[in-house]
Amino acid sequence: MNAILRGIKATYNFFSGDAIILSTVLIAFALGFFLDKVVGVSSLVLTIVFIALIVLGLALTLSREALSHQRIH
Amino acid sequence: MTGQLWAVLIAAFLASTVEFVEAFTIVLVVGVTINWRSAWVGTAAAAAVLAVLVAIFGTAIVLFIPLQALRFVIGLLLVLFGLKWLKKAILRYAGLKAIHDEEAIYEENLAAMKMRGEQIPTRTDPFGVATSFKSVLLEGLEVAFIVITFGVQADTGGQSKGIFIAALGAAAACLLVVALGAFIRAPLQRVPENTLKFVVGIMLTSFGTFWGGESLGILWWHEDLSLPLLILFYLAVTGILIQVLKPYASPRTPQMVTGGDQIQKPLEKEVLG
Repeated sequence: MNAILRGIKATYNFFSGDAIILSTVLIAFALGFFLDKVVGVSSLVLTIVFIALIVLGLALTLSREALSHQRIH
Repeated sequence: MTGQLWAVLIAAFLASTVEFVEAFTIVLVVGVTINWRSAWVGTAAAAAVLAVLVAIFGTAIVLFIPLQALRFVIGLLLVLFGLKWLKKAILRYAGLKAIHDEEAIYEENLAAMKMRGEQIPTRTDPFGVATSFKSVLLEGLEVAFIVITFGVQADTGGQSKGIFIAALGAAAACLLVVALGAFIRAPLQRVPENTLKFVVGIMLTSFGTFWGGESLGILWWHEDLSLPLLILFYLAVTGILIQVLKPYASPRTPQMVTGGDQIQKPLEKEVLG
């Protein structure tokens, strides 16, 4: 069991290692797929939503780091 | 050679050049920031897979390989890898990443070894191999599609060597891009480590956004011309983020500018550390 957990953790660390980045990027791709295939939004709207979610992921994880840094010091 | 075959040669050359530039950019940044061994192992593995696929499917590869699905998966992974690198580079630029940590000590040791003229051990790095493998595989498949599409069109237009001529155009493009890459490799080695990692993060995120977006149905403005715009966009965004984060850095945390800015270090320290 430990080996399986270690394997999962190593895979997670290899591909992302950051829960915020991983979840927002997965949401960006899943929502992009949904908006294109199901809702059928225009390419412009899809582009904006897709890129905004990617940037949001980066901004959120950086703000978490900044706040935790501020608490420590 | 007829005018139609010349047109196929030039079209295949130009279209393939764009794809090779994209693939080689990733291989180059992996080689410079991680190590060349990993970059070449990934490239060779992708070339082998491509050769097997072409040998098995021949021109029918266009029908059997789901390029959209590949773009989706590779785009997703590149965005994940790119954001991870960007995050660390931004934290260092903003002064939020402490200088006196294990990573920095390790990097200082490597820098000292380098200054003494000792050989820094390099080994195959999974992250570097995977990154160059994915890029070369995707772009290589796109080149195969270009060669087959242009070649078959010429053949159905009454020519008999369409695919061969298109392949010649693609091979010439490959040689040109690799030759140009060899010229800029040396100057790139002198760029500071954190700057390179920042650039890699921007590149991987931009390419991932581009390919991922294509797979989702985004019609990029002038197709591949959107890539430089995406790069500029991410540069601007990260520039703003660095400025916003700087006030959060404590005065006791100096910026990470020494040691690690001069040397390479293994990937798992960067990825798993």
